[in-house]
Amino acid sequence: MNWRDIKAITAKSTLEIVLVLTCIILSVTAPHFLSIENLLNVLRSVSVQGLLAFGMTMVIIAGEIDLSVASSVALAGCLVAYLTQAGIPLALGIPMTVLTGASFGVFTGVVRVKWEVPSFISTLALYLSLKGLALLITGGFPIASFPDWYHILGGGYVLGVPFPALIFLAVFAAIAFVMKRTVFGQAVYAVGGNAEAARLSGINVAFVRIMVFAITGALAAVSGIMLSARIMSGTPTVAVGWELDAIAAVIVGGTSFAGGIGTVWGTLVGVVFIGVIINGMTLLDVSSSHQFVMRGMLIFAAVWLNRLQEKRK
Amino acid sequence: MNPGSMAEPPPLETLGLCKQYPGVRALKDVSISFRAGEVHALIGKNGAGKSTLVKILTGAVQPASGTVAMAGVPVAFPSPRAALRRGIAAVHQELSLVPELTVAENVFLGHPPTKWAGLAVDAQKTTHMAADLLAEMGLHLSVTRKARELGVAEQQVVEIAKAMSRHPKALLLDEPTSALAREEVDGLFALIRRLAGQGVVILYITHRLQELQQIADRISVLRNGELAAQFTGDEASAERIAQAMFGEFMPVRVGPPETVTDEVILETRNLQTETGVRDASLTLRRGEILGIAGLLGSGRTELLRAIAGVDFVSGGDITVAGRVIKRVSLATMRKAGVVLVPEDRQAEGLVPALSVGDNICLASLRSNACGGVILRKRRAEAIARSVRELAIGTTDVDAPVSSLSGGNQQKVVIAGRLNARPQVVLFDEPTRGIDVQAKQQIFDILRHLSREGIGSALVSSELEELLEVCHRIAIMRGGRIEDEVIPAGTSPRALLERCMRIEKAAPLGKDTVNELA
Ligand SMILES: Nc1ncnc2c1ncn2[C@@H]1O[C@H](COP(=O)(O)OP(=O)(O)OP(=O)(O)O)[C@@H](O)[C@H]1O
Ligand SMILES: [Mg+2]
Repeated sequence: MNWRDIKAITAKSTLEIVLVLTCIILSVTAPHFLSIENLLNVLRSVSVQGLLAFGMTMVIIAGEIDLSVASSVALAGCLVAYLTQAGIPLALGIPMTVLTGASFGVFTGVVRVKWEVPSFISTLALYLSLKGLALLITGGFPIASFPDWYHILGGGYVLGVPFPALIFLAVFAAIAFVMKRTVFGQAVYAVGGNAEAARLSGINVAFVRIMVFAITGALAAVSGIMLSARIMSGTPTVAVGWELDAIAAVIVGGTSFAGGIGTVWGTLVGVVFIGVIINGMTLLDVSSSHQFVMRGMLIFAAVWLNRLQEKRK
Repeated sequence: MNPGSMAEPPPLETLGLCKQYPGVRALKDVSISFRAGEVHALIGKNGAGKSTLVKILTGAVQPASGTVAMAGVPVAFPSPRAALRRGIAAVHQELSLVPELTVAENVFLGHPPTKWAGLAVDAQKTTHMAADLLAEMGLHLSVTRKARELGVAEQQVVEIAKAMSRHPKALLLDEPTSALAREEVDGLFALIRRLAGQGVVILYITHRLQELQQIADRISVLRNGELAAQFTGDEASAERIAQAMFGEFMPVRVGPPETVTDEVILETRNLQTETGVRDASLTLRRGEILGIAGLLGSGRTELLRAIAGVDFVSGGDITVAGRVIKRVSLATMRKAGVVLVPEDRQAEGLVPALSVGDNICLASLRSNACGGVILRKRRAEAIARSVRELAIGTTDVDAPVSSLSGGNQQKVVIAGRLNARPQVVLFDEPTRGIDVQAKQQIFDILRHLSREGIGSALVSSELEELLEVCHRIAIMRGGRIEDEVIPAGTSPRALLERCMRIEKAAPLGKDTVNELA
């Protein structure tokens, strides 16, 4: 490997390198950072929320946005708790909840396609409605109706790995494959890059738009179920602001807000990066107010790095 | 009517098509039948309805009434997808590639080769098949480049390959050659002939009337949305065609005005850019119309962009009216009075959602404002003046500019640039895709600028055009200005030969230019 190769690799994987450097620094400065236990802890803490970022990646690459995901998370937790309370077994209640989440996505997509309402607006409206719906079905209070074993879905371990982390990695692999290798994935990039060109090439633009929202809605429901399992109740006031955290991770991962550009891998790195920074700051006893400022700066830094990379190309 | 057509219905025909847009009837009762193995040319001036017909045949828009029939059976195309499935592929007038995808991915967009039982895109096969297809078409273009890196002509080539990749039964070409130089056009014609020989229905739209005798077996003329006339290729003469297209109008050759002075307004010395301009030196005098000829990829567009300060200039210098420009940038060149009328008017020249008036004022916002507040009266006057002087065909300056025909959109771009009161105007393919009449009006604008003492540089792939309107023609090869000719007594053939002198073996693309260096 010569100097030019090294330069090319650093230019291509700046974020990955910065992530590794951050980990090295933290392993020296922060006590216990490098312990297996702590790293699993990072993975567990990012995984429930991180699921949203993968769906959001597809949505943003398709040239859309989804602001309703956080309400979807809260509602899913409440819905599954409500169904359980009503005597419906979880084996039925969980798929029903996921399907409901997907159908909200389908709704957003249909509104986008049929009435040409920008998704920023329709999902903003949906965000409010779903939040209200969650409050309505719970009456404003947590429903704690789950059997004990349900906790595994949010806090359990399989072969030493947290269950949510397994789901997180599986979803990553599936969506990365879909976006990189399948006809549908290519269609998502095409629709986000130039919708008219996609339409004239025989791509079913409406289907693509509806599907990305449906997938995101389903993932939000899965995230909501895992969250309710962790706290063992359906609570309407959880997940506040998660939609913006998801968008932040996608942007940090190098996806362009203009559509048509981005990778699921980048989002994974973005999610882990933000998780590591938060974990590191907590270990170093940085106050939560300072943490917020740092996270904001992180987004600026990532966007700046991206620009730099684009210029070099 | 020939008796054969009674026995066997044509593979593709339109029956009484009508299409209405707000304020315009784009098509009125148009019935045309297309025969297998025949190249059917469709002509008509800007706004005659040609593209609308293509869009209906490909399912991109829906007719108000009337039907499309294939082999005598009425068919409905609710989407482009449906038309593609029936074997109808098109190259649309407006370029539409996905910028972030590669050439190969764009060529097979919507139907990529797959593996694992259709589950995954076969990227390798996509690349190979696209490379094979381009090679078969006689084109040299790297299929792994991204579409956003391509020039207009290269994009057009990719669009053609994209349509070809469908192995269509009917191929509709809406001005596929508007950005191509003669070399590539000849290649395309050979291809069209071969396809027609295989029984493919070909519909070919062009504004270059001289192409008709080369390629057309049958010619349909649209005027104001109606089928005005139909000829066979042999019956068509320049007069009959012009008569059918315009009613009475006949284009006349005028030649450039005699207004060149000795005063040099623009000079470049050894200009270098990373986009492929090398050591380019030229001078332009007040009142002069300087043509710049060259093959595709010879660096003409890149040279104009460098002079206008759009692309980064890495070496050499530019002098305007005797003053060397220190830091060449869009702002400094604009301030020195140099403006560019860009090649791709859709992408770089206009804001489609804004109105005609807004677009006219876009490049000169300051001149109609006082302390940042727009003076509405002065602005309205400036717009009215532009519309009058350039004969922009619009009834409502508040209508979106995208509702104008191609030629009038181009005039809007030019009007916007002229309102900035330039010393030098750089025109990059200003007549691409516009009809003979509008073309003459643009030449009139050029002549008018010349009499005003403004220097113009004109890049065009239509050599006849350069010979008609320019005082002097510089010839570019491989990023350099290598030669110069005086139009008087030069034939298009001779000019083409001088353009090709070195690059004969490698006619296409920036790639080949880089290899030569
Ligand atoms: N989307 C639209 N909205 C409103 N009017 C339109 C639209 N598309 C086309 N038109 C109008 O319909 C008429 C026919 O347009 P069309 O694009 O078919 O012309 P054309 O013959 O292809 O012209 P050109 O030679 O400039 O390409 C024009 O008057 C045009 O302004
Ligand atoms: Mg047209």
